[in-house]
Amino acid sequence: MKNMWEVFVMDMSELAEGKDIELSIRTLNPGLHKYTYKRVKCQVSAKQDKFSDSLQVRMGRGQLSASKFSIKVLEEVERMPEKYR
Amino acid sequence: MSKISAPKSNREFIEACVKAGDAVRIKQEVDWENEAGAIVRRACELAAPAPFMEKIKDYPGFSYFGAPLSTYRRMAISLGMDPASSLPDIGKEYLKRTNSEPIAPVLVDKKDAPCKENILMGKDVDLCKLPVPLVHDGDGGRYVGTWHAVVTKHPVRGDVNWGMYRQMMFDSRTMSGAVFPFSDLGKALSEYYLPRGESCPFATAIGLSPLAAMAACAPSPIPEPELVGMLSGEPARLVKCETNDLEVPADAEIIIEGEICPDYKVEEGPFGEYTGYRTSPRDFRVTFRVNCITYRNNATMTISNMGVPQDEGQLLRSFSLGLELEKLLRSQGIPVTGVYMHPRSTHHMMIVGVKPAYSGIAQQIAQLAFGSKLGPWFHMVMVVDDQTDIFNWDEVYHAFCTRCHPANGIHIYKNTTGTPLYPYATPHERKYSIGSKVLFDCLWPVDWDKINDVPTLVSFKNVYPKDIQEKVMNNWTAYGYPEVK
Ligand SMILES: Cc1cc2nc3c(=O)[nH]c(=O)nc-3n(C[C@H](O)[C@H](O)[C@H](O)COP(=O)(O)O)c2cc1C
Repeated sequence: MKNMWEVFVMDMSELAEGKDIELSIRTLNPGLHKYTYKRVKCQVSAKQDKFSDSLQVRMGRGQLSASKFSIKVLEEVERMPEKYR
Repeated sequence: MSKISAPKSNREFIEACVKAGDAVRIKQEVDWENEAGAIVRRACELAAPAPFMEKIKDYPGFSYFGAPLSTYRRMAISLGMDPASSLPDIGKEYLKRTNSEPIAPVLVDKKDAPCKENILMGKDVDLCKLPVPLVHDGDGGRYVGTWHAVVTKHPVRGDVNWGMYRQMMFDSRTMSGAVFPFSDLGKALSEYYLPRGESCPFATAIGLSPLAAMAACAPSPIPEPELVGMLSGEPARLVKCETNDLEVPADAEIIIEGEICPDYKVEEGPFGEYTGYRTSPRDFRVTFRVNCITYRNNATMTISNMGVPQDEGQLLRSFSLGLELEKLLRSQGIPVTGVYMHPRSTHHMMIVGVKPAYSGIAQQIAQLAFGSKLGPWFHMVMVVDDQTDIFNWDEVYHAFCTRCHPANGIHIYKNTTGTPLYPYATPHERKYSIGSKVLFDCLWPVDWDKINDVPTLVSFKNVYPKDIQEKVMNNWTAYGYPEVK
């Protein structure tokens, strides 16, 4: 595993497989930046060995889901207007 | 007013609490990830002394102070009173001070402002350089602001607002927060900044003097810098920000300066809330972009951990909401004996004692309470008569269960202002902040004949002649009973 990520979803259908999707994911890698977010374009899979990074899932009120995913981050998506960067 | 000697900074407050046995110094290393939060939570649930955690994993030189005002003893200490002061006495002191003349703040030089001892600007700005805790496992993020003040200024009217609105770290330079539309900041944003697409300068001050923090979460119409002066009996010391025109408490531990983005939002939550649940849905909320961080040497980050009773979310807010309602009702000439919110109601129930001087008085109280600026924060008003001790839940509960007519005494108000935080609210109501309210009128109707219709309270105090009461009390131990304290 390269990186560990976590995502919050209201519904598991937000983690659609087989296509590019956009998510806000937070890093679970140890260190000072643990739990900081990135907005990314990615692909996810319920098969944990499909992609090298892991994705842990939490539901809307913070409940940890038993389902574990793997994730491939394709690119970071910068939605923040230029003037604030 | 006699001289008040209240702690002027978070550091003085910690010292005073340690001295009184109301804070413990924790020397062993504590993890910012869950452990610190769990210590604060347990201390709240046990009403234990406040934890002062002197060594934090990964963050040498920083410390945490948790559960600052989650007991009435610490509230008394914060006001410079005897820690053993009773709640009614603390309340009287709060009313006395907040009804006094406003005391304007003073501006001090940067060199006299400890919060400027370290300054991070430009590429050095990174919220992760601060020991931002993961307060509860499963929270949407690490929370920078749980016991703090978000300082802003109305661009036209110029009024300064300090509000305690929770702030989550989204990334190294971005925070998101729950700023409700009916709050002072929420109104300034929707009235001015959002329609114009202008960013709103802000400064978050963490590690405030306890009275500055109390002012930031008090629902009072008095501008907070003056309110702090009134509460502490001397001017608040402020200093100019580095990157905007705002003024912040000079003795605060940490200051985060930046701008609220009118055209960009990131997700916030979920988070443990004062109701004792994680209720409000994760959502795209008000977003704060950080431009500068300043902090004291050996800075202490303050943590309030909200959950089941009792923490500051319930104890302090019940206290100030109740007393501000009392002021409002008195200002309208209503003959109230007092107003009390039990912290265990998670500030959802106002108990109002009143002389039942005319018919409909309970409805008048409820309509004022629900219609006021305080209204969105509670949904129950219980009105009892002036013979009922509002601080004694046994008496209030007895009045409620015996005098509140199930068909005539319960009044429901629908489609009022709510918040997404109400656990009982439907998902639709939470999404659109729709509330509903209820009045429990526990007064005997004024059109009942006082002699023949109103039941007589059968109690030791009420049915026996004074001389018999005294005789029985004087002979109590002689009868063989232990002394009653
Ligand atoms: C620990 C704590 C956390 C709070 N968090 C929030 C919050 O996230 N959002 C909010 O609108 N009010 C919050 N409050 C309540 C406000 O601080 C309070 O309503 C205050 O008076 C600011 O109100 P105003 O802007 O309406 O004057 C919190 C209070 C406490 C004690």
